[in-house]
Amino acid sequence: MSAVRTAEGLRSSERVGRSVCPTRVLDAVALGSWAAVFWFLIIADRTSLFLSSRTAWVVPTGAILLTIGFVGRVASVRSESPAPITRRGAWGVGLIVLPVIAVLALPPASLGSYAADRRSAFSSGGISTSASDIAAGDLSLLDVAGGLRSGEGVDALIERAGEDVDFTGFVTREAGAPADEFVLTRFLVSCCVADALSVSVRVVGAPPGGFKADDWVRVSGQMYPLGREVIVDSTTIEAVERPKRPYLSQ
Amino acid sequence: MAVHAPGAEARFDFGYRHAGATALALFAFGALLVVFEPTSVAAVQNFFLVFGSLLVEAIPFIALGALVSAGIEVFVPKTIFEKLASLPRPLQLPVSGLAGAAFPVCECGSVPVARRLIVKGLMPSAAVTFMLAAPVLNPIVIASTAVAYRGRDILWPMVLGRAGLGFLVAMAVGYVVSDETKEQLLKRRSEKAERHDHSHDHEEGGRGRAFFGHLSGDFVFMGRFLVIGALIAAALQTFVPQSIIGGVANTPVLNLLAMMGLAFLLSLCSESDAFVAASFVQFGVGAQLAFLVFGPMVDTKLAILYGATFRQGFFRTVVVVVTAATLIGCLWLEVVFG
Repeated sequence: MSAVRTAEGLRSSERVGRSVCPTRVLDAVALGSWAAVFWFLIIADRTSLFLSSRTAWVVPTGAILLTIGFVGRVASVRSESPAPITRRGAWGVGLIVLPVIAVLALPPASLGSYAADRRSAFSSGGISTSASDIAAGDLSLLDVAGGLRSGEGVDALIERAGEDVDFTGFVTREAGAPADEFVLTRFLVSCCVADALSVSVRVVGAPPGGFKADDWVRVSGQMYPLGREVIVDSTTIEAVERPKRPYLSQ
Repeated sequence: MAVHAPGAEARFDFGYRHAGATALALFAFGALLVVFEPTSVAAVQNFFLVFGSLLVEAIPFIALGALVSAGIEVFVPKTIFEKLASLPRPLQLPVSGLAGAAFPVCECGSVPVARRLIVKGLMPSAAVTFMLAAPVLNPIVIASTAVAYRGRDILWPMVLGRAGLGFLVAMAVGYVVSDETKEQLLKRRSEKAERHDHSHDHEEGGRGRAFFGHLSGDFVFMGRFLVIGALIAAALQTFVPQSIIGGVANTPVLNLLAMMGLAFLLSLCSESDAFVAASFVQFGVGAQLAFLVFGPMVDTKLAILYGATFRQGFFRTVVVVVTAATLIGCLWLEVVFG
């Protein structure tokens, strides 16, 4: 018992000599602010604006890890020899917090026609181009765009020419295209927005001037593969809100 | 309440003015974003989306890397690293490379772990081999490469070529730096800062305290450089169209270099880059493979992380060796698989 009392006495005397260490407070700010971002993404349901559903698990993982780190640093924030905040240390943590401010302050958005001009088009052979996928069931935007990348896929699409399709995406405009045409685009994201690839079909029979670039629309009509692209002869086009999950995933 | 020696408050400079200036700058940044809504300009919106998404994906891996790194420092006895160091030298690099297969994190997470392994006493060349091999060889990356090329004739050349060539290239870099000591390889400032940051945690005792000291130290150290890397990568992704390299798709050697350059600019996570590589259908097997081997070892954000972690010259060595080895390996594979 006396040994226990002695140990407790030592510990309490250690605590007496400790004061809050400013640099550890700064560490806690860096960890806590990023933990807050991840919790915010979960609560506000905004993960799908940054990541694909395949990698969405990193957000709760980040939230938990960083919260553990934050709590641990707060619990050990007192030090016998506190270190002062240096200019370099303060700006370093400021740099870490900068994206936190951007994520929290900016309105929710997704990649649009600007990115469609600068990114590669989806062409992965294995995701959707198996002829059996295309031959049966509803045709998705991914089936149609991916199908064009293999001979079998094109054949399967030709078999279904003239069938009804129903696609949702945003409008992209090409210079010199007729007024009643636009390209319906959606991005496919594998991990994060940085790896987005575009998936698109050409829509004809649209009301001239009815939709501008980046408007989200739902197009119904008949699908026709033509050369290296798919045409949708539209019967109805309606303006819709940006989907909750604006990117296609695999 | 904290107790100070008499007069301690007068002498101790907390540095709160630096923190205040930083907080003020951040507040001004946030106010500018809210008031002027710069994202109404498409390019600015694109920049912030890519910047945010790169970090939302990479920060948890940095945190995981810092967690593993802190665990190694606090809970793994030094004797284990001494035993590893006593392995026959020709075995050390292959064993380190293969150990990467068991570490399923992206390249951002492997840098703090490699740094910790070196500090802890592992042979620097072995830690470097591990750091470069882990993002190419780990099972998630192999699986995502297989999914991206599923249904194509080049599935197996791509999957096995990536793993095999990545392993060899990582070992080549490890071999080139095998004469370097810890002091020659690691940036001195980082070690000094580390001692400064964490010595108190050790002095004050308690493994938990030391663990969180290392975790937060590594996170803050790597985090700031990751943000700089993501800023540059997002700017490049926003303003440099991917079609810029299309003109050299059929030019030998230049097509491989162009794809390596693109991998450097895009700074993609190794778990997703195969889908982007697969979209460059106008490029052959070798060029796509060059993208997949080079990117996880050398890219914009890694350049910043390496620069912060290792001594001057390390990044140059990595670029030269990885470029040369990838080029030779991919040319050879192009000859075999067409």
